Amino acid sequence: MASQTLYSVSNDLATVLLNGLGSILPGPVRAVVTNPDVIVGLSVLIFAAVLLAASMINTIVLIWWERKLLGRFMDRRGAMHVGYAGLLQNFADGLKLFRKNTFQPREADALGFYSGPLAYMVTSLIIFGILPISSGWNSGALPLTLLLALAIFSFAPLFIFVSAWSSNNKYSLMGGMRSAAQMIAYEVPILLAVVAVVIVSGSFDLSTIVYEQQNYWFWGPLVVALIVFVAGMLAEMERIPFDLPEAEAELVEGWNTEYGGMLFAFFMLADYLRALVGSILVVLLFLGGWTLPSWVPSAATSFPLAGIFWFMVKTYAVFGLFVWVRASLPRVRTDQLLRVGWNRMIPLSLLSIFLAAVLVTVKCLPVFGCVPSMGV
Amino acid sequence: MSEMWINMGPQHPMTHGLWNLRVKIDGEMILDVDPEMGYLHRGIEKISEDRHYNEVITLMDRCCYVAGFSWEHLYILGAEEALHVEPPERAEYLRVLCDEFQRIGSHLMWYAAFVQDIGLMSPFLYGMRDRDLVLDLFQSYTGARMTYEYMRVGGVRNDVPPGFTDSARKVLDWLTARFPEYDQLCLGSTIFRERCDELGILKAADCVKHGVTGPMLRSAGVKRDLRKDRPYSAYDRLEFDVAVADAADVTARYLVRMEEMRQSVRILRQVLDWLDRHPGPVLADHLPRWLGAPYAPIGNEGYLLKRNYPKGVGFSAIEEPHGEALAYVVNDGGEHPYRVKFRSPVFANISAARQYLVGYHVADIPPIMGSVDVCVGEVDR
Amino acid sequence: MQPDDITRALGPKLGDGLLSVEPFEGTAGRVRFRPESALALFEAVRDDLRFAHCATVGGIDWVDHREVFYVLWSDEAGQYLFLSADVPADAPHIESAASVWPSANWHEREAWELVGITFDHHPDLRHLLMPDGYVFHPLLRSFKLHEPESLEVKSRHV
Repeated sequence: MASQTLYSVSNDLATVLLNGLGSILPGPVRAVVTNPDVIVGLSVLIFAAVLLAASMINTIVLIWWERKLLGRFMDRRGAMHVGYAGLLQNFADGLKLFRKNTFQPREADALGFYSGPLAYMVTSLIIFGILPISSGWNSGALPLTLLLALAIFSFAPLFIFVSAWSSNNKYSLMGGMRSAAQMIAYEVPILLAVVAVVIVSGSFDLSTIVYEQQNYWFWGPLVVALIVFVAGMLAEMERIPFDLPEAEAELVEGWNTEYGGMLFAFFMLADYLRALVGSILVVLLFLGGWTLPSWVPSAATSFPLAGIFWFMVKTYAVFGLFVWVRASLPRVRTDQLLRVGWNRMIPLSLLSIFLAAVLVTVKCLPVFGCVPSMGV
Repeated sequence: MSEMWINMGPQHPMTHGLWNLRVKIDGEMILDVDPEMGYLHRGIEKISEDRHYNEVITLMDRCCYVAGFSWEHLYILGAEEALHVEPPERAEYLRVLCDEFQRIGSHLMWYAAFVQDIGLMSPFLYGMRDRDLVLDLFQSYTGARMTYEYMRVGGVRNDVPPGFTDSARKVLDWLTARFPEYDQLCLGSTIFRERCDELGILKAADCVKHGVTGPMLRSAGVKRDLRKDRPYSAYDRLEFDVAVADAADVTARYLVRMEEMRQSVRILRQVLDWLDRHPGPVLADHLPRWLGAPYAPIGNEGYLLKRNYPKGVGFSAIEEPHGEALAYVVNDGGEHPYRVKFRSPVFANISAARQYLVGYHVADIPPIMGSVDVCVGEVDR
Repeated sequence: MQPDDITRALGPKLGDGLLSVEPFEGTAGRVRFRPESALALFEAVRDDLRFAHCATVGGIDWVDHREVFYVLWSDEAGQYLFLSADVPADAPHIESAASVWPSANWHEREAWELVGITFDHHPDLRHLLMPDGYVFHPLLRSFKLHEPESLEVKSRHV
């Protein structure tokens, strides 16, 4: 079933386009246009463009989803006026930011100041290139997608710190340092929690991990790992209660204090891209990806793109959980955050590895498969 | 990181107003602080020397923009004493009504700002939502939501409209039902307790030494409330308890303010019942002509006459939502107050900032300063 | 506490530094004293009469002289007490009360910059509400509200 990938579709599209173009062009030009390397180049471009558009639109809808949810939690309506139920509000906001002048503080270091947000944005986007969205829509089979995704995910502190330091602002610097400390502290429990998933599924490939969940989703046997992973992801995304790097009460806006206009938009979008990646990873690792339990009527899974649909539903639901947390919890302090990270999360994640090893060794995992699920 | 000074303000989300807290930090630790005030100084005391007695009321609303009624009341008490005017009893009750609703409004505003400081987003909206109901009530009998100009030397401008007491009771019922929700969101949260317990401690002795009053003082266990200790208006005829706590930390201040809101509700119910039973005039008869009728346009010809009126001084002290507020009004027989001196509670509370900030983390500044409940308008005047 | 009690308590310590104690507007009284004996009076009022809380310090410009007044509160007596001293208009200065009541610190800074009364031995007599380098004293009667002032103000921390 998984023969068709996003890359293969764009490759087919490029082949058809360029061959069609070549057939109406004179000989020498046709040879250039139908050159296999050119076809590969165009298909990569199409692939990247589709990915960029899809992730950007999703990110912006995600912001809308957060605003509406937060509005409801706060007894108000959220964005209402642009588009249906304010759906286009964030596009309008994005356009506004796009039109705004980008400025640079006089004493800032231009190289770091401009390259920081770009690198942050780009590394967040790259992850989307390797995340499988459904059985038919992944970027192609890579054996170690999980490791690659987490590796790219953990680039962020570096770029945040570079842009914070080069802004030459005390608040930015403090925010950058907090951010680096926090992300490094929570990188470790996240990776350890993922090890539990790898032990149970026996693979570093995200698609394989999802296939392994056809009989039972991993959140049941690996509930400790799930808790550690979700809490760690909250810290990695810098969302309340772990949003101290940009704690607006004391640090103005934290590491992006000096940024405005499109550069700020890069940070904002990248933040939500990372939130999207975090939600997707939770769905892929623990909630069965695009699969549904078998008791769900087949009509729910038989329409076109059902896998992507259910995958997005789960992702938005997980993100909704993050929003719920944001709406109801205060912010912790730096020392408390780090203490929780090193003293609580790491023992918990080690415990989750131990539990996973025990479950695999005593072969009691099928117990969780009493409600079997099926692939889409 | 070596030591450095950072400016928290005048444009900074922590300040809730226009002031500057200079903080000397080493890493995340606070070594020293130096509050700088004056960004909002409008010279209210000086302008008062150039205004007729009733015209100063306008300035009082601008003195503290979340507790305008309390400042009106403070000034009016001083001015009445200086001018030898007695208000009718119903006006006294109406003033208590204004004061206590204002205390609830101010504390709700504080609650909203304070939870925002520690990152709680939803209660901010809840506090503002419920404060709006109080403002609606104010609007229904003063016509304004923030700058009321309602009290007059010798009474108040007008009575409450018919049906006011019922709608006020509905608001009180709604608020009473909301208080447990507020407590759940704050006290029920482990993170809140982790953040606020044993934070910004200022013991009773230090409070007295540094002139700290109001909820901050009562959170340290000192049962000083001018409504009880030096009753003004109708407070000696009303039943209520003084809210106190012992821990002297941020949580204790939270508890004191929450309990004060509950006590305000209790006072208000008594006041509303009294108002229902005792109709009457709200402005004193036989006011001196130069004080003007309540609706008289400012600058009527009575003001221009050189009057011959007994001299006097007025001294009033009220328990404002933020603490002990004093007014000293000197009447030299002229048409304007000779000198008006106000004592702002927040002024003294901020002046002790070094005592309750040094030694904590930078991240603790917003909750601690939030628990002080800064209103810059009355500090700078 | 009545004015007579205050006279009895303070009189022996202060001698002719204590001018009079008169009833005053619902407070324990108003103590008029000579500015020279300020510190002795402050300590006596704090320690003997137990007025531990200094609510405010202010000044009044009576054109021919200036008055400094202190408002104190005692939890034990449940009363306010006024202290008041006249200082000459040409050399308006008095001993600072900040060493006795730390809370007087900011109030004295305010009285200094607004009414122009110098507080000797004040720990930190800087501008508070007005910008640094502000040479006027706005609460003096000679300061005219309707005439523009002109002053170049420099920022404090550049």
